[in-house]
Amino acid sequence: MRVPPGVSQSDFASAIAEFQKAVGPPWVFTSDEDLDLYRDAYSPFLNEPEERIASAAVAPSATEEVQQIVRIANRYRIPLYAISTGKNLGYGGSAPAYSGCVVVDLKRMNRIIEVNENNAFALVEPGVSYFDLYHYIREHKLKVWIDCPDPGWGSVVGNAIDRGGGYTTANYRNHFDSHCGMEIVLPSGELLRTGMGAIPQAQTWQQYKSGCGPWIDGIFSQSNFGIVTKMGFWLMPQPEAYLRGTVSLPRYRDLGPLVETLNYLENGRITSGFPDIASPLIGYPPIGQVQLWNESGPPSMTDEHRKLLAGVTLGYSADLEAYGLKSGIPYWELWLSYHGPAEVIDAQWRATQRHFAKIEGAKFHIVDRVSVPIDPAKVEEYHEPEFGIPSLRVFSIGARTPWNPTPSKGHMWFSPIIPRTGEAIIEANRVFSAAARDLGMPLFRSFTLPACFWERSFIFILATPVTEDPATNKRYREGFRKLIEVGGEHGWGEYRTAPVFQQAVMDVYSFNNHALQRFHETLKDAIDPNGVLSPGRYAIWPKHLREKHS
Amino acid sequence: MSRLPSLSRAAAAVVLGLGIGAAFAQDGPGTQAAGRAVYAQWCAPCHDPGVTHPGTHALTVKYQGIKSGVLLEWKDLTPVTVKYLVRHGISVMPQFRKTEISDRELDALAEFLSRNTPRS
Repeated sequence: MRVPPGVSQSDFASAIAEFQKAVGPPWVFTSDEDLDLYRDAYSPFLNEPEERIASAAVAPSATEEVQQIVRIANRYRIPLYAISTGKNLGYGGSAPAYSGCVVVDLKRMNRIIEVNENNAFALVEPGVSYFDLYHYIREHKLKVWIDCPDPGWGSVVGNAIDRGGGYTTANYRNHFDSHCGMEIVLPSGELLRTGMGAIPQAQTWQQYKSGCGPWIDGIFSQSNFGIVTKMGFWLMPQPEAYLRGTVSLPRYRDLGPLVETLNYLENGRITSGFPDIASPLIGYPPIGQVQLWNESGPPSMTDEHRKLLAGVTLGYSADLEAYGLKSGIPYWELWLSYHGPAEVIDAQWRATQRHFAKIEGAKFHIVDRVSVPIDPAKVEEYHEPEFGIPSLRVFSIGARTPWNPTPSKGHMWFSPIIPRTGEAIIEANRVFSAAARDLGMPLFRSFTLPACFWERSFIFILATPVTEDPATNKRYREGFRKLIEVGGEHGWGEYRTAPVFQQAVMDVYSFNNHALQRFHETLKDAIDPNGVLSPGRYAIWPKHLREKHS
Repeated sequence: MSRLPSLSRAAAAVVLGLGIGAAFAQDGPGTQAAGRAVYAQWCAPCHDPGVTHPGTHALTVKYQGIKSGVLLEWKDLTPVTVKYLVRHGISVMPQFRKTEISDRELDALAEFLSRNTPRS
């Protein structure tokens, strides 16, 4: 039997016996074979001694069982690590941040407690996946949309507390921001409800976020201060219609005005669908078309065009621009979408065109103007998450296709937040392409465009492959750490990262001698004095492990 | 809903929220119907027919016409192979835990996916 570091064999055996009593023997896993199922399938330390592995796993079916598990862990000082559906691939999967933890697998807690159609909210447990919630809503014929990330098997709760994002409208794409009310098992085993849920006879737990006094929900995201056992979410009323249009701009210098105009329109809610920036001239797809490109191949390109692309610097050459102008291929293409009554979205699209028309040479095209729900026979023509429909099509990234004959073993996402300006896009390309070249990391073709999940900032996402070759993985890991550092030097930090990089990322958030991280540690010591809960998650270590790890 | 497999009564049961448990209760463990329900919930999004299913696309490219990329059409899958791949993963497909697919459900899935394979 594996044993957590610093725990005696006999204490661990006693704890396992008590876990079995709490959840039932079939739901406590201790054999190597069963524990291998908790390995991070995309670990950048795959098959190396540093790979983070579990010493046991315990799968409760109810909040009371989670409380018992936490109390047992305190008694024997057993480190726990909570996962929800464990499908956080690229960000750690179902493996602990600290080797030797007992994984608390919440997948069996999969109850959808309420979906309210009239005021558009839901209350769910952490084992509920986006597929589960979507099917429930369809089965009950409720006219509400979920907002989901690309992989539909992820946990609604887990993705939100990892601060993930989706693709519908600005109010819902930030999954943590769109939550309302939490239930949390604290490291002591005590149960806490936040917001209006703190009133025993609460009537509005999912309808008013902050309750009274400090709003503490944020400290339970990307942290290890409690195990979230219920969480509320605001849902989007099913819109009547959907319009998707493109704005095409001919010149490299138009990137700055494109972003400025987008910011005005989005911050003023004249457009609120997922904005998606592409470059037909550079051959860079909008995110919403990536899966279609992987499935059917990228658009064809002339030999002349391809040759010109080989000679660009930061996505630019005068010859490429001239070629684009001559051939009618836009430098930039912004995909915008609108949800609502037809007369409203038509007016929003008209206003959008009026604002972008100030940029010389701007052209407009309506890609879709459809009533909702869209025809089920046509749904595969779309990037489903933009309609709140979960899917697994995103796994075409990395999988074998005619255009990718050598599939990877997985990937890790390098994803710093950068400012919402055209200059920042070019600067991030300059800085990271130079760094990636020096580090021998295959991250860039000629130019990378950022993603617009959140309002007011960009995420500059670069996928780093995980391979089966430890030497290559080592080079990529070291490169990844260096990129984090380089980003930090420019004032850019990751929005989220896998456990193996969490310390490196937190090191970047170092204002005033790491005041933020020290505050996290102060909280940790107060809330979890025995340091049992998810040690090391987001670089928050309990006192007894702090010196060793920071 | 075209994204969902239109395979059978059992698959429809999953879509309608009756779940794998219902299929087991109705048909008993180890039956193909129960296995089909497991397939519908866990495998179909990547392995149903068509390039919009990345598992199918990957296998189609891998086998280059030697055999179909659609798992449901394979005639050489053995229960041992199915169980190994589900518990170990392959390429970008991760392994599945017992809280996701229990041993009993995996037996049924293996039975279902190997239904076309001649028994020696």
